[in-house]
Amino acid sequence: MEEKKELWAPFVATDEGREKIWSKERSFAQDVWFRFRHKKSALLGLVLIGLSLVFALAGPLMTTRSYSDQTLDYVSIPPWFRVYTMEDGTFLYLTSSMRPIQVAEDGTLGAPLVRIQDDMVTKKITYEYGADVVTVDYSQKPPAILDAAGQRMTAGKMVWNKTYPLGTDNLGRDLLVRLMYGARISLLVAFVAAAINLVIGVLYGGVAGYFGGNVDLVMMRIVDVISTIPLTLYVILIMVVMGQGLHSIIIALSSVYWVDMARVVRGQVLSLKGQEFVYAARTIGSSTGKILLSHLIPNAMGPILVTATMLIPSAIFMEAFLSFIGLGIPAPMASLGTMCNDAIAALRVCPYQLFWPAVAICLIMFAFNFVGDGLRDALDPKLKK
Amino acid sequence: MAKYILKRIILMMVTLLAITLLTFIIMHAVPGGPFTSDRNLPEAVEAQLNAKYNLDQPLMVQYVDYLKGLLRGDFGPSFKYQGKSVNDFIRDGFPVSARLGGVTVLFVLLAALPLGIVAALCNGRWQDILTMTIATIGVTVPSFVVATLLMYIFSYKLGWTPTIGLDSWSSYILPVIALGGYSLSFIARLMRSSLLEVMGQDYIRTARAKGLSETKVVFRHALRNALIPVVTILGSTIANLLTGSFVVEKIFAIPGLGVHFVDSINNRDYTAIMGVTIFYAAFLVAMIFLVDLFYILIDPRIKYE
Repeated sequence: MEEKKELWAPFVATDEGREKIWSKERSFAQDVWFRFRHKKSALLGLVLIGLSLVFALAGPLMTTRSYSDQTLDYVSIPPWFRVYTMEDGTFLYLTSSMRPIQVAEDGTLGAPLVRIQDDMVTKKITYEYGADVVTVDYSQKPPAILDAAGQRMTAGKMVWNKTYPLGTDNLGRDLLVRLMYGARISLLVAFVAAAINLVIGVLYGGVAGYFGGNVDLVMMRIVDVISTIPLTLYVILIMVVMGQGLHSIIIALSSVYWVDMARVVRGQVLSLKGQEFVYAARTIGSSTGKILLSHLIPNAMGPILVTATMLIPSAIFMEAFLSFIGLGIPAPMASLGTMCNDAIAALRVCPYQLFWPAVAICLIMFAFNFVGDGLRDALDPKLKK
Repeated sequence: MAKYILKRIILMMVTLLAITLLTFIIMHAVPGGPFTSDRNLPEAVEAQLNAKYNLDQPLMVQYVDYLKGLLRGDFGPSFKYQGKSVNDFIRDGFPVSARLGGVTVLFVLLAALPLGIVAALCNGRWQDILTMTIATIGVTVPSFVVATLLMYIFSYKLGWTPTIGLDSWSSYILPVIALGGYSLSFIARLMRSSLLEVMGQDYIRTARAKGLSETKVVFRHALRNALIPVVTILGSTIANLLTGSFVVEKIFAIPGLGVHFVDSINNRDYTAIMGVTIFYAAFLVAMIFLVDLFYILIDPRIKYE
């Protein structure tokens, strides 16, 4: 009863705490992060980007193989395969070129067998196998190893390829290592191209928007003309002239894709330059460059960041596209696009060679698109679809 | 309106001029002339050849000559194939590409608009989520991955469709899906978001308050305005479909202009690259212009400007 009486006591208001802001104080960046992390797809994208960066940057350090190491004994070996269990309990894998390879129980590849004789008439090849011989019969499709009684055996046990976890390509190169280097090149091209486009676009759009008038008119007509020209064609032309290589891809990509960025920045600057803080800066005598770079552009950072994030997947896509039509990174270097291109010739026999780079491209594209969407929603909730 | 059309025509002319000039300059920046590649020619012979093809003239004169040729519809001779002109390439390849492209545009429009509308009207329900998931996949997965995966599954594994060529109706299915996948997803997403935005407007509430049926509200009032952003990007979509066809034509071995273009890139057939680029670019610019004209018909705001 005593306690209840206290609850009914009159409330004495004090000045203390009246002016206090009870909600947690958050900076703009914290606000953006708060909105960003409440979107699952955006977080997933961020994690994926992190993983692919680790894979591409740290991955090659953890292996002794290089992207160009060829092991011609192990050509086009899939990541998993069926092996023949021989009478003595060892395992043999028959490659697509009809050469048996010794395989340990855990899937480590051993030495290939040495060929003794190829009988074209009966379509049988014999190989030396310890003291014994092994016969491969290719009179019927698919080829098979014959047992002691001359019967065709069937490959039974499924084994993971432990030596090459993702298999090898048509020159016996480790696909996992090539995938790491390929992702590295693709990401490098994308980041550098996006960064250069960002700088050009921001400066171009900033100047056009800030000076306005005839400068703006001429500069934006140029942008209009460029944006009507099919850019894919010009990237191709630039590549044709400059030849294959990392530099020319980066130059080609970064010389044409700044147009969107320029438009976005111009629009932002146009709407910002009439605000009081710009007049204030001008009154205290700031130079034009200073106003542009330290007042206007930081205020337009939101849309700029979103456009830049969206530039990265299109650069990755464009790089893959160029590599795919034979204008990309020269051999033996790999990019995700060249790996896809190489794999298509052998698609029917070795679909896994296409699978890995294709999955990698898709994951990277997903990740950047998700992060871009998330950033847009977080930076400017008004734009939310 | 006349002012708008005039402005567009002038912009188109400037663009076309810029395209020819840019292409010409880029192609002439290639080190070495057309006859320096294979073996060393005697100087007199080379001079003769240069004179025959007007290559001894100053660059400006060559450009004007080239422009004159273009105006007559003459794209010049091929670098690598004797006796073949770039016009031959275009005449062989373009009808095939146009057929594939046309079917794809039709397919994209017939599929994307209903999908976008359904997704917007079922906002948040499973139809919406399903459509938008597929559309996200379609926007992010590159066309060559789609094309090769489709080919592997439906041609190699299941054997339902032909692997290469463009001979029967069934051979259109895979290339059209691979080519149109991106645009389909993009337009479906755009259609959805623009219809959603329109459905929240006051005049839709007014239409509902008048007691109109939901069908009438959507199709008479909402859709007409929601279509405007879609029509805006239609020109560049056609552009995407045509340039995207390089990859799809290559994978499915369709003898279109895209394959000719990729071949001439790999052969370093410079005049062919130049001619086909200009042809493509001019075609696309013309397409965008036509779409812009169509735009006037549906957006009354431009008419009264």
